[in-house]
Amino acid sequence: MDGFLFDVKVLELADEKGEFCGKLLAGAGADVLKIEPPGGQATREIGPFYHDEVHPERSLYFWHYNFGKRGITLDIESPPGTDLLKQLIAEADVLIDAQPLGTLEKLGLDWNALQALNPRLIYVLLSPFGHSGPWRDYKANDLVHLALGGQMMCCGYSPSDDGSYDTPPIAPQMWHAYHIAGNQAFIATVGALIGREMTEVGEMIELPVHQAVSVCTEIDVPHWIYGQTPCYRQTGRHAQPAIGPEVQFPTKDGRYSIILPNPFPGGYETLVGFLEGKGKAGDLGEDTYKELKNRRGRAFAEHFADIQAACVADFDLEEIWHEAQELGIPWSPIRLPEENPDDVQWQTRATFSQVEHPELGESYTYTGAPMLPNECAWRQGPRAPLIGEHNREVLCEQLGLSAEAVADLQDKGIV
Amino acid sequence: MSVKKRRPLEGVRIADLTWLLAGAGGPRLLASLGAEVIRIEWRDRLDFLRYMPPFASKREEESTEKAEAMDLTGLDTGKVQSVNRGGYFNDINAGKYGISLNMKAPQGRELFKKLVAVSDVVVEAFTAETMQKWGLGYDTLKAIKPDIIYMQQPGWGYKGPYVKYASYGPIAQAVSGLTEQSGLPAPHPPAGWGFSYMDWSGAYYCAMTILMALYYKKRTGKGQYLDCSQVEPGIGMTGTAVLDHAVNGRHYQRTGNRSPYTPAAPHGAYPCAGDDRWIAIAVTSEEEWQAFVRILGNPDWAAQDRFASLAERVKYQDELDRLVNAWTQEQEPFGLQERLQAAGVPAGVCQTAQDRIERDPQLKHLNWLLPLEHTEIGTWPIKDIPFHFANGQVSQGGPTERAAPCYAEDNAYVYKELLGLSQAEIEAFQDEGVI
Repeated sequence: MDGFLFDVKVLELADEKGEFCGKLLAGAGADVLKIEPPGGQATREIGPFYHDEVHPERSLYFWHYNFGKRGITLDIESPPGTDLLKQLIAEADVLIDAQPLGTLEKLGLDWNALQALNPRLIYVLLSPFGHSGPWRDYKANDLVHLALGGQMMCCGYSPSDDGSYDTPPIAPQMWHAYHIAGNQAFIATVGALIGREMTEVGEMIELPVHQAVSVCTEIDVPHWIYGQTPCYRQTGRHAQPAIGPEVQFPTKDGRYSIILPNPFPGGYETLVGFLEGKGKAGDLGEDTYKELKNRRGRAFAEHFADIQAACVADFDLEEIWHEAQELGIPWSPIRLPEENPDDVQWQTRATFSQVEHPELGESYTYTGAPMLPNECAWRQGPRAPLIGEHNREVLCEQLGLSAEAVADLQDKGIV
Repeated sequence: MSVKKRRPLEGVRIADLTWLLAGAGGPRLLASLGAEVIRIEWRDRLDFLRYMPPFASKREEESTEKAEAMDLTGLDTGKVQSVNRGGYFNDINAGKYGISLNMKAPQGRELFKKLVAVSDVVVEAFTAETMQKWGLGYDTLKAIKPDIIYMQQPGWGYKGPYVKYASYGPIAQAVSGLTEQSGLPAPHPPAGWGFSYMDWSGAYYCAMTILMALYYKKRTGKGQYLDCSQVEPGIGMTGTAVLDHAVNGRHYQRTGNRSPYTPAAPHGAYPCAGDDRWIAIAVTSEEEWQAFVRILGNPDWAAQDRFASLAERVKYQDELDRLVNAWTQEQEPFGLQERLQAAGVPAGVCQTAQDRIERDPQLKHLNWLLPLEHTEIGTWPIKDIPFHFANGQVSQGGPTERAAPCYAEDNAYVYKELLGLSQAEIEAFQDEGVI
């Protein structure tokens, strides 16, 4: 089956800001060519590493975020490198540029020049804070983005009873600022590709990571806009104007389960019936609680949570949640990422796939398609490119350089 | 030559049967790109978000809604003055048209089929069998409109044994592994997420999937059926940890705000002067360390051997963090951010919503909030889309150039103009409880 973006050619000049977007485009079927500096992209230095060997071909971070791409090395700042880059741009549909601000401009490749090279080009410019503005030159990483974007003030542990916090706000790991930006960049890019079908002209899209991250929180912004009400972070649940009842509780095997009630009509009664079946309903079945108005307020909410917590504490993590979910009660395990490949749901949906690393003679479990289409297929391979793996294929077969010319570029450190 | 700006999804029509955020957020994004999104609602089972605070108060009176914790034990729909005043709903549904339609009524389903016939996409997040039960499965939709794109987004996906299971953002986060990956190391429990990250991510993947299918349809003429889940995109964001286990047999362990895979120290959130004020600082290189020490005023402790290299600073980061804490807690956070950034040290205040809305000069520069008019509550700022197009017209107002629709606001447009019903027919349907 085809990939969705079967005829789209993408060039990627990106570090961790843009690699996730490139990975998604590759997953959707685009031909994504990653251009790395000679020696490899700096993201190859990010761990964890295969067998803990710190080596540019052993970064599991790089494996994951560059899955399904082809890769060449090219010093784009050298004159022959710039020239080859221009030839590649002329044939591309999309250019993802997440390099330091002004990198392409310095090579004479500003938006006007890019349009002249390729009027149909979709140019996607990812930067930490945008190309202008007072924070234009600020430096950031994942942590700093999640601080400025508001995620951290929403995430963390509940305050003490006096309302003071003795733990810091928490940045959820790992690399979510770039996940958020990558998802948004994908939306913008494919939207622009669709628009190009109508207009036949390209597009420049600017996406500041800071703005992408800042719009990805939930009720804290409307609460401030409509009521100037602050929201307070609390363990495992939404930051809100007041501290709500707990939702995550320890299980018998020392793990944690999440317990949400079903707020639909009848949800309470179903839950009580389920708890009664376990001999754990406490007083929840009493007549007084049959009326919604008697189930209001903080005291009941805490009582309600305590009773459910006592039930969960009698079971191992994976034991009872299926029974609850079969009844429409949304209890669920707080899992480790590596526990999911064994789940029959994901096995049925082929959510994970085995990816071959021929140079290692091994195959490993990767996360795969985020959905199941019936007409198209999500990409199954290959694994991330080795450094310069497709130099020959691209430079000789696509751009028509001779083997000698490539060898010469190699000697000069340009590829 | 002046060219009229065009919306990239001009001419694309979406029948939107979603609700909440994970569902309804997807079409919101498509509206920003110019799709005509028709949100379908029925008064007997409205979107919870229409009942969720905060509410826009009427200008002449004080808000009567006291901010409370969300009450999940049962929804009290009688409490709200109007279903059109919810600020959160207004944000999630900006740029959409809104109609009333009773899908439980046979005549309602016939009207829906008429809408399908003039739509490109049908998207819904009902429990899995609902549309089949109504006789509106993919085969039916395809018979009405051969190139229809039909996207189903039950929580766990349609295919698989968990088809009936419920999912909300916090559940998708918990199951995928994202909750476990957030927080201080054990014995602290996971801190998880203080908002429904997987609702936003569900919305992103809803939009992404529809966009991919729309592109494919433009190029080949073919529609398709898409079985989406809210959990799988979360799994896709845990890939490095999955690989670390597959390759190295390692189980994931939380490291709080410390850098798990790139050596960095100090790397965390440090307390500042004021009530619950914190600054994130990330020092990853020798150069940044030198600059950091300069801003600290070159204290004697910074010259100790055990902080002499990055490897040493990582090794002794408990001690380092203690010393940094002692210093930062005397500092005003925004001034410190300025000084650190001016010296080249990555640092940022842990900003609240108030900070971002009232203070952040960069977000202001980027016009991140867009004033949009709502028919009942007037003009309020809506979070705009974070991508800026040079040629295309892209903004959260979408084709309606309006905030969220009031309930049934666009019945006249959709039923009269789009589907060609007469005024008499519309009134009859209203009387019969169909629209």
